[in-house]
Amino acid sequence: MIKVLKPGLQTTVQDRGRIGYYEIGMPPSGAMDKYAYTVANMLVGNALDAAVLEITYLGPVLEFGKRMKISLTGGEIPPKINGQPVPMWTTLEVREGDQLSFDFVKGGARVYLAVEGGIAVPLVMGSRSTYTLIGIGGFEGRALAEGDVIHTADMIRKPVAAGASVDASLIPTYGKTHEIRVVVGLCSYRLTEESKETFLATEWTVTPEANRTGYRHRGERLQFVEREQPFGAGSNPSNVTDLGYPIGSIQVPDGVEPIVLLHDAVTGGGYATIATVISTDLDRMAQVKTNEKVRFVSVTMAEALDARKDVQTKLGRVAEMIESGS
Amino acid sequence: MKEVTQMQTRYEYGGDEFIFVQLSEAMSLEANFKGIAITRKLKEASLEGVHDICPSNASYMVRFDPDVIPPEEMMARLQQIELEMEGLDDITITSRLVDVPVYFNDPWTHEALMRFRDRHQAPDSTDLEYSAKINGYDSSEAFIEAITSAPFLVSMIGFVPGLPWCFQMVPREKQIEVPKYVRPRTFTPERAFGFGGAFSVIYPVQGAGGYQLYGIAPAPIYQKDQTLFDFQESIVFPKQGDIFRYRSIGEEEYQAIREQVEDGSFVYHKKEIQFTPGEVLADLEGFAERALRRLYHD
Amino acid sequence: MAEKTAIVSPLPGIFYRRPSPDMPEFVQAGESVKEGDVIGLIEVMKNFYEIKAEADGIVDQFVVNNEELVDAGQELVTLIK
Repeated sequence: MIKVLKPGLQTTVQDRGRIGYYEIGMPPSGAMDKYAYTVANMLVGNALDAAVLEITYLGPVLEFGKRMKISLTGGEIPPKINGQPVPMWTTLEVREGDQLSFDFVKGGARVYLAVEGGIAVPLVMGSRSTYTLIGIGGFEGRALAEGDVIHTADMIRKPVAAGASVDASLIPTYGKTHEIRVVVGLCSYRLTEESKETFLATEWTVTPEANRTGYRHRGERLQFVEREQPFGAGSNPSNVTDLGYPIGSIQVPDGVEPIVLLHDAVTGGGYATIATVISTDLDRMAQVKTNEKVRFVSVTMAEALDARKDVQTKLGRVAEMIESGS
Repeated sequence: MKEVTQMQTRYEYGGDEFIFVQLSEAMSLEANFKGIAITRKLKEASLEGVHDICPSNASYMVRFDPDVIPPEEMMARLQQIELEMEGLDDITITSRLVDVPVYFNDPWTHEALMRFRDRHQAPDSTDLEYSAKINGYDSSEAFIEAITSAPFLVSMIGFVPGLPWCFQMVPREKQIEVPKYVRPRTFTPERAFGFGGAFSVIYPVQGAGGYQLYGIAPAPIYQKDQTLFDFQESIVFPKQGDIFRYRSIGEEEYQAIREQVEDGSFVYHKKEIQFTPGEVLADLEGFAERALRRLYHD
Repeated sequence: MAEKTAIVSPLPGIFYRRPSPDMPEFVQAGESVKEGDVIGLIEVMKNFYEIKAEADGIVDQFVVNNEELVDAGQELVTLIK
């Protein structure tokens, strides 16, 4: 049992996501930074699809009702137990009555708290992830609130001893400027050649609206190729006949502010999509804060797949390290 | 099939996990039927590593696991399906014909749209009056008649869970087209019936919205608790490829259906129908007649 | 005896000195505040987070203007205890 003394800004239950329902307009939700999420579960010996808490910007204050292993990964929101700093990316043991709190965010934006056995909430359409827009999944379909009591499940794969940790080389670091790799495509034919270059050359600033639905970026204005709009497409040059939006796809309504759609986004609509963030860099996007700088870097499919391999290799090394008890 | 041969398919990667296939830049029944045919074939193939198959208005999208099926292979598979596809005269599509009651000019959406007149093109008229006028109808009644006399194809589901984009099955010259609000509303009632561009929608849940508002549906299209018969298998009712007939109802029937929804006894009136896109496109009026007869009299 | 302390923003976002555009500011420089009094709001992720005084004191000055963008850890207001 874990008691929520203070909820933080937005603390939600998340797992790998609700995959397979995009067709009915249901985004997957799920942990925004899958690497940090997966390592958090590994550190407490959980099944890799166990539910965790995703903490954004401002940490909660939680009280543990029994002895258990926990781990904290992701961005740097320095954690404390009973007021004493504790390390992240490490298997910790807490006792009954221990309180977990956090300092102000130093780097990144999101922290994952895994507890031994995972968070116990009902499976909704195959996932425990919270989707707040329609209020399903997670803890009563919403972010945690003061006074909530959450329980732990029994999705333990293999117990891990306290003190296990992840080598520094396997821990991502976050500055205030971020390079996010994208595959240019989809409806990029709608942008002028000049604007395609501008899109990749601009240092964009993340706006305060940035959340699990999407990240909006301020910078340069982009122009679309002039045309007579096709039937059904709508009148603005940034409009296309309503279509599906991939997770990570980037659209630029009216050419004003590029929006990267993320895990709780709308699944389709009438804006031209011009590029897609590669799957591994969705994790990096999750750790970008409001006011920080983003540059989009165009990569090929082969490079995207290499990045994917790299992450899998790293996760393999993390697993080995925990296994060998180092 | 002149229109179809003019369509140019565009295959694009959406990062390392999505492929987006644009069948046509313009909306048309041809493009939508083609998307239905391809995505249904793809579903039948049940390929390992394919997570999502999402047909949309004039395009479709696939989410796949590149560790299971390499992107080039996935792409080639999709291109192959398009190549091997029979002409639109030879594909048979089975879908549901559904009676969808709508209470036009109802007090709730009227109240909502009056609140946001300053965000509308025509602050001095209602959305119905404005839409009737710009589409060449001399009254709201004649405009409602045009909406209810021919069925709509559910051409895409999405945006939020269950929201159906519906495209009327009439010749291009009869197609209704309306702009969205100048600035979106911050409120739209749940189950509001609206129109934007060439598409009608029903809003599954209360929220922001930019479509012209004409009425409200008494029956839900999204039900989280899944207590109604039509929601036993899914929390959303519409399926892409469904054919909706919007039927104009008055307040009395609206209230009666609301009561059925509340007590759990409501069931959508629906029939199965088979057609080939070729026969539908050749005679849209004939198809509309056949569909309505099948729905209400067979 | 005057000891200056700063109230910092725990979040990145937009700083507001008023509860809503048509309302007066929460507090002015020179006014005294009690622990827990709201001195401003930070808007981020379409949420508004209340910034509260952590101790009793007198508002010395606002380091950040109304509707200015702030980073996490940035000083918003100084108080004199």
